[in-house]
Amino acid sequence: MGREVSESCIDSLLTEMVSTYCNRFYANKPELAARRIEAIGYQVGHQLSERYTMDRPRFSDHLEAIKFICKDFWSELFKKQIDNLKTNHRGTFVLQDNRFRWLTRMSIDQSPENGASEDTSIMADNKAVQSMHLYFPCGIIRGALSNLGIPCAVSADISNLPACSFVVRIKA
Amino acid sequence: MIVCVAVVGYQNNPLYIQSFTDADDALKLHHIVHCSLDVVDERVNNPKKSGPTLNETFLGLLYPTENYKVYGYLTNTKVKFILVTTDLDVRDADVRNFFKRFHAAYVDAVSNPFHVPGKKITSRTFAERVSTIVKSFGLSSVG
Repeated sequence: MGREVSESCIDSLLTEMVSTYCNRFYANKPELAARRIEAIGYQVGHQLSERYTMDRPRFSDHLEAIKFICKDFWSELFKKQIDNLKTNHRGTFVLQDNRFRWLTRMSIDQSPENGASEDTSIMADNKAVQSMHLYFPCGIIRGALSNLGIPCAVSADISNLPACSFVVRIKA
Repeated sequence: MIVCVAVVGYQNNPLYIQSFTDADDALKLHHIVHCSLDVVDERVNNPKKSGPTLNETFLGLLYPTENYKVYGYLTNTKVKFILVTTDLDVRDADVRNFFKRFHAAYVDAVSNPFHVPGKKITSRTFAERVSTIVKSFGLSSVG
């Protein structure tokens, strides 16, 4: 098998998808656009987890499933593993990727030395657009985990690009 | 000869069930598949195996009846595959191989973006692929 996908095509497709949902379909309702994009990611994650868990024994606990997401699943998607996994052992996991592939093409905010007021507004705007691009990977993680029998909520944090951390909260 | 295969979702909802007999015993076969679900649950909740075979997807022979042998397979996503055969001596490797190919066909079917998760699999391609796999079952051991 070993089919390949062009990386730049995927990058462009994702960018275009986010922009279409945010600027055309739901131009005035960013929450709705976010929810739709997350739902697409959910379906993708759902289907991918089915494929990537094919040749492995079943997971015995949550941690094992999360580890699978961090190692094998991430390697299949991004050709690298999650760099850091933290947990409070009570159902919250933080998955940190120091160089998240889908954010590497984004312009990083310059250090706020200029200090002008218009800059801060642009920065806030940038942040909003960047976080919009993270609903898709969040959905992928949530879809994969819920298909493995772990209902959860996933959010993303981009305080220092291009590092990105995903927070997984497992619903009791 | 395989007389029936089934895919059962994680809530024990039937996703695909197909019998391969000429006789009118579909109802009986469906009943056998239904009964096997309890055995699957029992196997999973009270694992007797240990070591590397623990949590293996292939569950082995679930139970033999007078005329049939029922095999099970449970994926990571809690989807069950059931195989009912009339063969009396079946090689384990053949069944494993069958489930492997069946699983691949299933994954391809649910990866279809138009397939709704948790709903019955209506894909004609899947049905054709399954019947090919069923027909080729055990042929390797004959040759």
